[in-house]
Amino acid sequence: MSGDLRPPPPPDRPPGPPPGIDPQRIERNWMAVSAELFAPQPSRVERWLRRLSVPPSATRLMVATPALRRAWFLALGLVVLIGLAGADSTRTRQDLFALLVLAPLVPVLGVSMAYGTAADPAHEISLATPLSGFRLVMIRSAVVVACSVMVLAAASLLTGAVSPLAFGWLLPALGLTAGSLALMTFTTPRRAGSVTAAGWVLAVVVARNGSGDPLAAFTAAGQISMVVIIGIGLLTAYRRRDRFDLLAAST
Amino acid sequence: MIGGTAPTRSEASAQVLVFGAGRRLGSTEAMVDVDLSAQGGVITILGPNGAGKSTLLRCLATVWLPDSGSVLIDGLDPRHESDRLEIRRRLGYLPQDSGLAESATVFDVVDYLAVMKSVGRNTRHPERLRRLEVMELLDLVGLAEQAAEKVGSLSRGMRQRVALAQALLGRPTLLLLDEPASGLDPEERARLRSILGERRRHATIIQSTHLTDQAAYTDRILVMAEGRIRFDGSPARLAGLADGTTWIQPTRPVDGSTRTFWETSDGHYRCLGTPPAGAETVQPTVEDGYLLLLNS
Repeated sequence: MSGDLRPPPPPDRPPGPPPGIDPQRIERNWMAVSAELFAPQPSRVERWLRRLSVPPSATRLMVATPALRRAWFLALGLVVLIGLAGADSTRTRQDLFALLVLAPLVPVLGVSMAYGTAADPAHEISLATPLSGFRLVMIRSAVVVACSVMVLAAASLLTGAVSPLAFGWLLPALGLTAGSLALMTFTTPRRAGSVTAAGWVLAVVVARNGSGDPLAAFTAAGQISMVVIIGIGLLTAYRRRDRFDLLAAST
Repeated sequence: MIGGTAPTRSEASAQVLVFGAGRRLGSTEAMVDVDLSAQGGVITILGPNGAGKSTLLRCLATVWLPDSGSVLIDGLDPRHESDRLEIRRRLGYLPQDSGLAESATVFDVVDYLAVMKSVGRNTRHPERLRRLEVMELLDLVGLAEQAAEKVGSLSRGMRQRVALAQALLGRPTLLLLDEPASGLDPEERARLRSILGERRRHATIIQSTHLTDQAAYTDRILVMAEGRIRFDGSPARLAGLADGTTWIQPTRPVDGSTRTFWETSDGHYRCLGTPPAGAETVQPTVEDGYLLLLNS
């Protein structure tokens, strides 16, 4: 809901309409002028999205995603730093471990901060609007995933690794996000994010212990399983989309 | 009656029908077997904390579904997705905790919710019309001058008016207001009554409040206690429940015939119950009727 506002306040209201002019018409025109003056100016991102033919109303919903705040960007930056620090040491395949394990958690964290009473102060009001909750959560998730992928992809390139494995976090990131969305139809977004993150770390540890390869979760089998999770997660979220339209009972 | 005029029922006002609606919250029965039929006018739900007022309003606002029974708004059933979204097009909702983004400006907050409500959509200049409506509503609630101020810098009463402005977006035919007078000073409450008085010509308005003086200005009062509707009628009828059972005496009552009493500003005691011999009864108020009902 952030947006720059044109600073100058509207001029003082004229004392009264000239003779013969309908005062109501003058009042309405005055309101229209004030409204244009007070209207928030689209941010740079918003203008950029509009240039890509995204409708203005959709851009407003996208830039107002509650997750796009300092805490989440700090988490994103931290993951990038840890990933780069690990990869800088010997440039071996295992050096990507930290980036590969942590990167998929970034959009999961973002999605858990993008929807629900804990994330959005106006959640109850927005639920009572005709904008479907499922549509809103998908818009916000898309924004979070797009931001995450852009930054993490840049980090992957900066690691200097030539192997496609440097991008091995991508499908797990999408899979965990979809899984988290599905879980959000059963529990709160925060709890869904925590369960997803814990499940992911457990899966990485189990795969590593089972095969002896620290990156076993990022092999072809692991990636294929993520594609399956993406499908199941999105299908579950869609089929249970009513849950995004309703307020949690504990509120 | 608001504005001192007879209620004008309009075809545009939403029809609200509730049949045997119940809702549990954990192990608590928050709402039990509630029946309600309404179209047009201002209805006030009175009741102590935990009486089920907010639960009923949330079920009407379609953000909660009843566990049992039915809620129908204009014949639409919120259990079905398409009906639910259609109901929400006709709805203005002010929850008890409106939780507005403190870092955003007043205009921005209302405009964002106007986007979510699709205000101005399907017109030639959707953005311009949306902004115009936002500005008109801010003017209506007396906040046009504060449009560029951050919500965080506003007083509680002003924030409540911002929340009221968003509820009025899109000229809803069903207006649900949970404690709308909370934090408002007497002048602001008078403005609220005036706004509701104007809107009731086009909408069914259901509000909850703890303030019996606010309820006295409405067309109909529901009293809820322990999740059930204990009274449904006009303010005059509610006050009439205490007819002949309200008296004032100079000393603190000690006998068991007084159901409830309180000390007035002049040091006397206003009592409800069976008046003692010789006591002079007084004209009861809505508050007298309400307290007598809750203590019966």
